Amino acid sequence: MSAPHERRAAVTGIGVVAPNGTSTDTFWKATQEGLSVLDRVTREGCEHLPLKVAGEVRGFEPAGTIDERFLVQTDRFTHFALAAADFALEDARLGQADTSGEPYSIGVVTAAGSGGGEFGQRELQQLWGKGSRFVGPYQSIAWFYAASTGQISIRRKFKGPCSVVASDEAGGLDALAHAARAVRRGTDVIVAGSTEAPLAPYSVVCQLGYEELSTGTDPSRAYRPFTDTACGFVPAEGGAMLVVEAETSARERGADVRAYVAGHAATFTGASRWDRSREGLAQAIGQALDEAGCAPEEVDVVFADALGVPEADRAEALALADALGAHGTRVPVTAPKTGIGRGYCAAPVLDTAAAVLAMEHGLIPPTPNVADVCHDLDLVTGRARVAELRTALVLSRGLMGSNSALVLRHSAGQ
Amino acid sequence: MPQITVEELAALMKKAAGVTVSPQQLQDTPDTGFDVLGVDSLGLLGIVGELENTHGTPMPVDAERCKTPQQFLNLVNSTLMAGA
Repeated sequence: MSAPHERRAAVTGIGVVAPNGTSTDTFWKATQEGLSVLDRVTREGCEHLPLKVAGEVRGFEPAGTIDERFLVQTDRFTHFALAAADFALEDARLGQADTSGEPYSIGVVTAAGSGGGEFGQRELQQLWGKGSRFVGPYQSIAWFYAASTGQISIRRKFKGPCSVVASDEAGGLDALAHAARAVRRGTDVIVAGSTEAPLAPYSVVCQLGYEELSTGTDPSRAYRPFTDTACGFVPAEGGAMLVVEAETSARERGADVRAYVAGHAATFTGASRWDRSREGLAQAIGQALDEAGCAPEEVDVVFADALGVPEADRAEALALADALGAHGTRVPVTAPKTGIGRGYCAAPVLDTAAAVLAMEHGLIPPTPNVADVCHDLDLVTGRARVAELRTALVLSRGLMGSNSALVLRHSAGQ
Repeated sequence: MPQITVEELAALMKKAAGVTVSPQQLQDTPDTGFDVLGVDSLGLLGIVGELENTHGTPMPVDAERCKTPQQFLNLVNSTLMAGA
């Protein structure tokens, strides 16, 4: 991927709508401070369900910036995506005037774990409550995994390659890798990432079957990976979109190269087989480093998957040791998602956004709510740690068995 | 049966398709296409569905293929007239 004759894929814009901030700046401020915003679930219709703690996006008002035509025909997960894409494009200084001239040179890739559950529930209630004539036609597209990709491309008039990755939570990283591949094949810009909205009654009920889901009631104790009190993960909504752009295109228009998407690999080891994820994750890390032309010792920080299930946490710690050798126990590891929850496919994209920001600021954000680490890891807890960061490794695993690793390189180090 | 007014159509365009247009605008320029106004095919289908539910009568299949508010009102109102 880093061969000199190839088109390198750079991150030139970041857009975030997360539980701890509905802009990239507020997200980073809260993340580097180690603020935890996990709280009791307050979404309507969810209060009585056994899931008590989650990372909700509060104070998000899409009507201010997104045309009502797009809002009525889309679910909350797409509202997040439209807003995050706007933020990312603005951050990359790619306005309508910049993209309208060459619409085929810009595409969209998203990953989605569950589609539009809230919209779907409303229409299904119409179906069974009143009859099929009362189901709105937009149900046909709003629930769909591909909705966010489609609506971003329609709204911004992008006609380049568009796709959706449906490969479990780790699909968030796979979408970024897919974007980098499209850039290397010749597309100038891909808007890539993931947003999710799993906090609606129907969606929550679907998640109750996951044995990995935390039903803890204390927001400060419900999601504590890598500790001996780990009791599962807390879900979250929101996510991030990134502008992945050919380095040449960015340089030509004088845009900042924030980081390079340098390597990626994905493996599959079976649903809830966390013992096997050790090997799967180690393989993914090794191959991603190979693709990036990166030695294990060059990894300066790891953004962990951090599922919060003891067996899975152990597998992840061992995978790092397997793939990085002795460096695996020395490299700083962090999991800022313990402060906002785990947003399925969106989680590793938020981690990627945080990794780029961490490299820029020379600061490793901490792992909120976690203190007593019971694995052989240098987990950054308490407060952010100052460090020179040139290479970041982002890890993600899905409940259905996918494992992915993404290597990012800071532009200044190149 | 009562006829569909521009007021009713404007309200339905808002509800079913998220398009804000004044009754006066529909009155003054009834030949401006739904596409120009921002109502796509699924939006128009939603408007037809709302009308069918409100009036308790099916609309002709061509209703969802109308290109302009004028065509739509003519077709829908002649259907309602015939059913009255």
